[in-house]
Amino acid sequence: MKKSLLLILSLLVVCSLAFAAGSGEKAQAPAAKISYEVTEPITIDWWHALEQQYWPLVDEIVGGFNKSNDLITVEAKYIGNYATVNENLVAAHAANSGVPAITVANTPYVAEYGKGGLTEDLTPYIKATGYDIDDFGEGMLVASAYEGKQVSLPFLISTQVMYYNKTMADKEGITIPAKFADMEAFLKKATKKDASGTTTRWGTIVPGWDQWYFETFFLNNGVKIVNDDRMTTDLGGKASVAVTKQLQDYMNKGYAYWAAGTSASSTMRQNFLDGKAFSVIHTSSLYNLYTDLADFEVGMAWLPAGDTKKSEIGGSVILIPAKNDQKVKNAAWVFLQYLVGKEVNMRWADGSGYMPTRNSVLTTQEGEDFLKRKPAFKTIFDNLDEINPRIQHAGWNQLATIWKSNLDQIMLENTNVESQLKVMAEEINEVLADSE
Amino acid sequence: MKPLLSRKSSKKVGDFATVLPALLFLGVFVYYPVVQVVRISFTNWNLINDSYKYVGLKNWIWLFEGSGTKYLLNSLKVTFLYTLGELFVTIIGGMILAVIFNKLAKSFSIMRALVFLPKYIAMSSAAVVFLWILNTDNGILNYFIMKMGGTKVNWLGDKNRALLSILMLTGWRTIGYGMMIYLAAMRGISTNYYEAASIDGASKWTQFSRITLPLLSPTTLFLFVTTFISAMKVFQSVDVLTSGGPYRSTEVIVYMIYKYAMEDFRMDRASTVAVFFFIILLIITATTMKISNRSVNYDV
Repeated sequence: MKKSLLLILSLLVVCSLAFAAGSGEKAQAPAAKISYEVTEPITIDWWHALEQQYWPLVDEIVGGFNKSNDLITVEAKYIGNYATVNENLVAAHAANSGVPAITVANTPYVAEYGKGGLTEDLTPYIKATGYDIDDFGEGMLVASAYEGKQVSLPFLISTQVMYYNKTMADKEGITIPAKFADMEAFLKKATKKDASGTTTRWGTIVPGWDQWYFETFFLNNGVKIVNDDRMTTDLGGKASVAVTKQLQDYMNKGYAYWAAGTSASSTMRQNFLDGKAFSVIHTSSLYNLYTDLADFEVGMAWLPAGDTKKSEIGGSVILIPAKNDQKVKNAAWVFLQYLVGKEVNMRWADGSGYMPTRNSVLTTQEGEDFLKRKPAFKTIFDNLDEINPRIQHAGWNQLATIWKSNLDQIMLENTNVESQLKVMAEEINEVLADSE
Repeated sequence: MKPLLSRKSSKKVGDFATVLPALLFLGVFVYYPVVQVVRISFTNWNLINDSYKYVGLKNWIWLFEGSGTKYLLNSLKVTFLYTLGELFVTIIGGMILAVIFNKLAKSFSIMRALVFLPKYIAMSSAAVVFLWILNTDNGILNYFIMKMGGTKVNWLGDKNRALLSILMLTGWRTIGYGMMIYLAAMRGISTNYYEAASIDGASKWTQFSRITLPLLSPTTLFLFVTTFISAMKVFQSVDVLTSGGPYRSTEVIVYMIYKYAMEDFRMDRASTVAVFFFIILLIITATTMKISNRSVNYDV
């Protein structure tokens, strides 16, 4: 009996100690005047997601900074893709250990990072150093801010486009439709089938592994993915059902396939390069890769529009994690300005498929020169005003996971659209209300 | 002068001092985190936020009466199916191979080593290789199937085949381990039993079912418990091969926990699922041990 009592008491002590730990909010320190200057030598880490083919460019750009700066040494570290960077960053932030001085982050994470206080508000730095951010495209700045705070700056920016086999298009007289309503006729023409009715060339491939690729079809056809009350979604509504049914119909008719799964992206790319698909929907950042690998001329087109022809910003922003020493943050801010500077930005744009981010490039002779080097980007330059910031909501990632999973099932298993979207919308509503 | 502690008490203190470092280690790295996970399951902690509030049973209601229920039931089903598959391959497959290799001459030991070798290849590396072997359009498995007149199989993208594909990788890695454990146990069985049975006219099958199988029961129990627990915690192969898809058809419990914690940042929900999973494992392991005490033969 005594032993049992002792055991229970011990457990209670352990539990109460554990419950006590971390339950209180941290006391706010009184605000002191902060200096943003770098006064002594310092080495900082920059986490990035640029794959091996970009490492010479990364070395060149970081090397250029290190040579030109006496006090700051930057070490560039490839962490993995955006999801891996996110996992490592959030884990380091939660553990308050191993946080990088500066890091890239995929655009949809801005809201969650901003809300959770992971990112440093750059507004005081911008003011203190007189840094001109007005040269960035307005949509890009909004995409890298959270509730009016500039918690990051645009870095490597891309948008959704349709790549197509221009050689085939010219030979067969196929044009990419400007309207979603004309998609079916286009797909019918671009698709090839054998005598048994099996598709031998898909009209297009719709990426299902990331909702970013198909969400513009919904946005441009009147679907409110997050309603104005920020607690509900319209994804179960009539407009959403209509778009989903249309996409499902393309799959059922063998005009397109839904690319889902772990290697869906590389398989889709290979099918396009092998001539097994007339077109694919992908990110504009892969332009260099497609043109380097294809043995035909690659065209780039704006995605077919509905009532509107909006696209959304993709790629990455750059930010300074808040849980850093002020000295580290100051050094990171100096490097950040260099990384997003106009000159360096143009080197990124030339060496990769990312877009120039500066108005002073996009609308001037420099932009014209860029288009001479990359003529396919004309479709993006012609639609710059249509590129919008991503939807910002702290529950966005959860919403995206649920939506993707349900559309996968609808497209691959041909399930009932209305009933599935209705149940899905109820679940998303719960997530949105819980996250807001 | 009378010693401060009696001889008996002094021995107790000595014993306690001996186990204290291990107790401290377990306390810090096992029991404290377990208590913390239980605590987090009653909060609304988002991994990014430093502060949180206690929300009572909200997460538990989400898990048992809210939208979490269907995902929990799905993950439990997937996890148990996977576990059954791994148990089958490791125990039945391992035993069959052990019986075969037990009869083969010593010169076949190289083959035995080859079967066992995959166990020592890192799961993540093996999974990446299997990702390409199982690729629908460019994988070597489909290449051979098509060479033999078959049609392409969507191994990882079809919900009816994805779990089987993961089990192919698991089987390739674990069957050799099961074989080695059984082989060692079979060689420990005295030949006297078999000689006596032969003299009495027992067939090979009778010898196997009446001598080998009962005497292998402690080994089977060991393999069952260890494989069961490791299979229930499967993660890496799922992460690399399918990421829980297509549409959650391979979303095992640990992957579900990981997704809530690291993709959705919902540490509160992840902890709730983790606590529930911990309780399930505890109950199943205890029940298995209790049943085995009655039915396992430890006489060799």
